[in-house]
Amino acid sequence: MAAVAVHQFAPCITCHAWSPDQSMVAFCPNNNEVHIYKLLQDKWEKVHVLQKHDQLVSGIDWSGTSNRIVSVSHDRNSYVWNQEGPEWVPTLVILRLNRAALCVQWSPKENKFAVGSGAKNVCICYYEGENNWWVSKVIRKKHNSSVTGVAWHPNNILLATTSTDGKCRVFSTFIKGVDARESKTGSSSDPKFGEQIVQLDLSSSWAFGVKWSPSGNTLAYVGHNSMIYFVDDVGPSPLAQNVAFRYLPLRDVLFVSEKMVIGVGYDCNPMVFAADKSGLWSFIRFLGERKESSSGPKSGSQFSEAFGKFYGQSRQGLSSDTVEPSKIQGAAHDNCINCIELLKQKGSKTKRFSTSGMDGKVVIWDLENQQDLKEYL
Amino acid sequence: MMAGAEKIVEADNSEAIITRIEHKSRKIESLLKQNKPVEALKTALEGSPPVTRDERCKSANWIVVHRALMAIKNVEGMFSSLDPEYYDILMKYLYRGLSTGDRPTCDQCLRVHEKLTERAGLGCILRSLADTVNTV
Repeated sequence: MAAVAVHQFAPCITCHAWSPDQSMVAFCPNNNEVHIYKLLQDKWEKVHVLQKHDQLVSGIDWSGTSNRIVSVSHDRNSYVWNQEGPEWVPTLVILRLNRAALCVQWSPKENKFAVGSGAKNVCICYYEGENNWWVSKVIRKKHNSSVTGVAWHPNNILLATTSTDGKCRVFSTFIKGVDARESKTGSSSDPKFGEQIVQLDLSSSWAFGVKWSPSGNTLAYVGHNSMIYFVDDVGPSPLAQNVAFRYLPLRDVLFVSEKMVIGVGYDCNPMVFAADKSGLWSFIRFLGERKESSSGPKSGSQFSEAFGKFYGQSRQGLSSDTVEPSKIQGAAHDNCINCIELLKQKGSKTKRFSTSGMDGKVVIWDLENQQDLKEYL
Repeated sequence: MMAGAEKIVEADNSEAIITRIEHKSRKIESLLKQNKPVEALKTALEGSPPVTRDERCKSANWIVVHRALMAIKNVEGMFSSLDPEYYDILMKYLYRGLSTGDRPTCDQCLRVHEKLTERAGLGCILRSLADTVNTV
């Protein structure tokens, strides 16, 4: 069993993030709060409730080194939370948005964070020590619709975004005074803040869930048309692979290694994608338990009934019971998974990750015993 | 599973497209006479949908696909010789067929839809719904 722990925290969870030592998890239980739970003697206890937002908290990220939580909400605000003793103290970050904030991520060096919004822009926030506040610089151009996902390249400067306009874009977020100059010759070769490096026009439908591979060589994101896109050589002439699969669309992805990606979404079951030796990506299998019904697409009984009615008209004498209702036995999640997070481990190889979804569960997965996947780790 | 690099396809003018469709139509009639309905369907689906906004071209192509589709008697058998690369485009035409409301067309489309969904999965249906650019 790849799912090693399942816990029901709330009726529904929008997003989650782990503390640096992974002893605590922060999530939004589909309301305007952030709940932090700690594992104490094999039981999860609620230890903090962060209450500052007025509307749904759509994104949470917990920085691994500096132990800061950033939360963004539909109320168009963002707070950076610092732990001072037993309390979490919020600092408002004025994003200057006129639409909801949808997603957030700390940069690798944790000196910046990016916020995607429904205002068709991305805010890059950095800390200004002189005035003791966080400043927001907005990338206003290029996006034609809501920004659904943001992902930092390991170099702390490039940012990839996905949008409901179907495109994935990579921008430079170079900020003078915050980022060190890469070139020694001067500022002319450094890309300016907000400059678009590349625009990937691979999907004709909403794009979600963009992530970079650990080295930053490969980019992956998903489309709402049940496709996943892998891009190598991100730059003027990118090498893209469009992988179509037979299941319901994904919402988020995670690079477990350079050659393995886990996708999560509406099938409530993590999907494993891997690249073979020639670099060709394909779907390997589902990670969790899955009972495939032989007569038709797997589904809960409501879905099967609908299919039965759909085909019932043309059956002329055949009963519509031939499409059996089949409930997935033993599946970890029973509703859409919308968030997947890496669980850092001591040692080099990543093997564990967590998922949260609309069923309000957080599930921890371990690839340790998945023998057929070992070659990709 | 399907994987491929993106290609930029040049859109021709309507006359050229209609001519190509007429050429396809003749080929399809010939294949049907030779009792090769699956080959006929493949021929019909090739080069579809026409890269154009001209509704006449899209309708002309639909007529040709419809002709081949209705000639299929053995739906189950068809799938053993239809390559997966045709699944997504076939699904789009099935929905066009279902939207006609014509009883024999709908019956055939439903029969094929059931088998196609078994083969290609829900992802295929999603792709036919989500693609608002390459419509049939």
